[in-house]
Amino acid sequence: MARFSGRGGRENRMLNQAAKPDSDMYRILIVSDDPFLRDMVRFALDGLGAEIRTPGDRSEALRLARRVLFDLVLVLAACPYADCEAMLPRRQRGMRRPRIFFVAWQHSEHAVLSVLDGGVDQYMTFPVNLQRLRLKVAECLNTLNP
Amino acid sequence: MMHDLALLCCAAEAALVVGLVAAAAVLRLRRGRRAQRDAALGRLYLRIVMHGLLTGMRRAPAFPRIGRTGARGVLAQVLARLASAAYGLDAGLLRRIVRTAELEPYLLRRIRRSGGVRRARYLSLLARLAPDAAVGAAVARYASDRSRSVRFAACLVQLAADPSQALRLLACWPEPLTAYELAAVASMLRRGMLPVAYEPLLASPHRNLRSLGLCIVRQFGIEEAEEALLRIAASDAVPEIGCEAVRTLCALQRPLCRSGVLRRLRSMGRAERRALLRCMAAEGYASDALPELFDRDERLCYESLVGSYKCELVCP
Repeated sequence: MARFSGRGGRENRMLNQAAKPDSDMYRILIVSDDPFLRDMVRFALDGLGAEIRTPGDRSEALRLARRVLFDLVLVLAACPYADCEAMLPRRQRGMRRPRIFFVAWQHSEHAVLSVLDGGVDQYMTFPVNLQRLRLKVAECLNTLNP
Repeated sequence: MMHDLALLCCAAEAALVVGLVAAAAVLRLRRGRRAQRDAALGRLYLRIVMHGLLTGMRRAPAFPRIGRTGARGVLAQVLARLASAAYGLDAGLLRRIVRTAELEPYLLRRIRRSGGVRRARYLSLLARLAPDAAVGAAVARYASDRSRSVRFAACLVQLAADPSQALRLLACWPEPLTAYELAAVASMLRRGMLPVAYEPLLASPHRNLRSLGLCIVRQFGIEEAEEALLRIAASDAVPEIGCEAVRTLCALQRPLCRSGVLRRLRSMGRAERRALLRCMAAEGYASDALPELFDRDERLCYESLVGSYKCELVCP
């Protein structure tokens, strides 16, 4: 089985490109009610050269999302119906909209379509391949304008 | 004299109440501190495991305080949760961690000393740690436990230890698998621990294997299985499996006005028909699809279901 570290050339190029100097770091917000999932994804995204914030609960995450302009918001949720609307940060006036990735346990067509209709850019299901998630995040950060 | 005795009794009762309250408070405090300590330790262990996976570590990393009471349990939970929430991890490193930290002997000891729900919980933890054949053989004795949850968790350990025996083990399971048990097996399929081959399962003479086949078709949305589903809906000898096939067709959003489905619907009870109506509402079937399938009362019920807030959530 492939090692999680994934030493493929394409991935390494992506990850190196994603890394930015400290002064101009990408900002990632991880939103989840489950501390284990939050930490797991946070540790999986280590080394991407991004500032990762993991607020303890949903209200804190929303407060943070209103104050700080994030490049990427990662929502790790048990149920997309309940969480989608509440967890998506509002677009700030004149500011760039953050990319939103959603990882949930539900995999039915309805769940995926409703979340994508709600403005989510990427939907993945648990169990998630952490190497793939890391690659997707790196790809997403590379497409953003500095 | 009596007055003094009454006073003494009251004082003793008050002292007892105060003592009990104090003991409960101390117990709660200790539990809280232990939960906090376990949470911090779990976070530390997760960081170490993820660092090992990220850097492609060859040897199992060292885990601080692993010898302390409960620390091995925390590490086992971290690894089990990681295995549940993620796939594609370096199985070799995880296996080395399990072996170096002696998690299998620890869990087997806990399983032996506990009973009921706790035993089932430890067994299900063990099932997620990719056990080897020796562990599978060691838990075989729990396959005849009094508790169904323990028997099923032991079956999961055996499935994980030797996936090539999955069909035989599930076919030998004496009772019909519940939705929870099917979901547990399906989650092993999703993690790549068992093969996903639905066709032999749907054609199997064993009820549980057919049920698992239907679960796979539903979970993976396999529309190519429509013919097999219609065959099961029309002619399966087990009524519950026939109903499940109709619900699976509904989950795939296939047309239900077929002769086989109609025959099955006529043999279904009132509660089962209502359950099917709820599935149809959730899947967004139009009311026009109903006249041949349901009577007037059920059609009215369907309209109220469609108009309910639940449907507003499902079909925004």
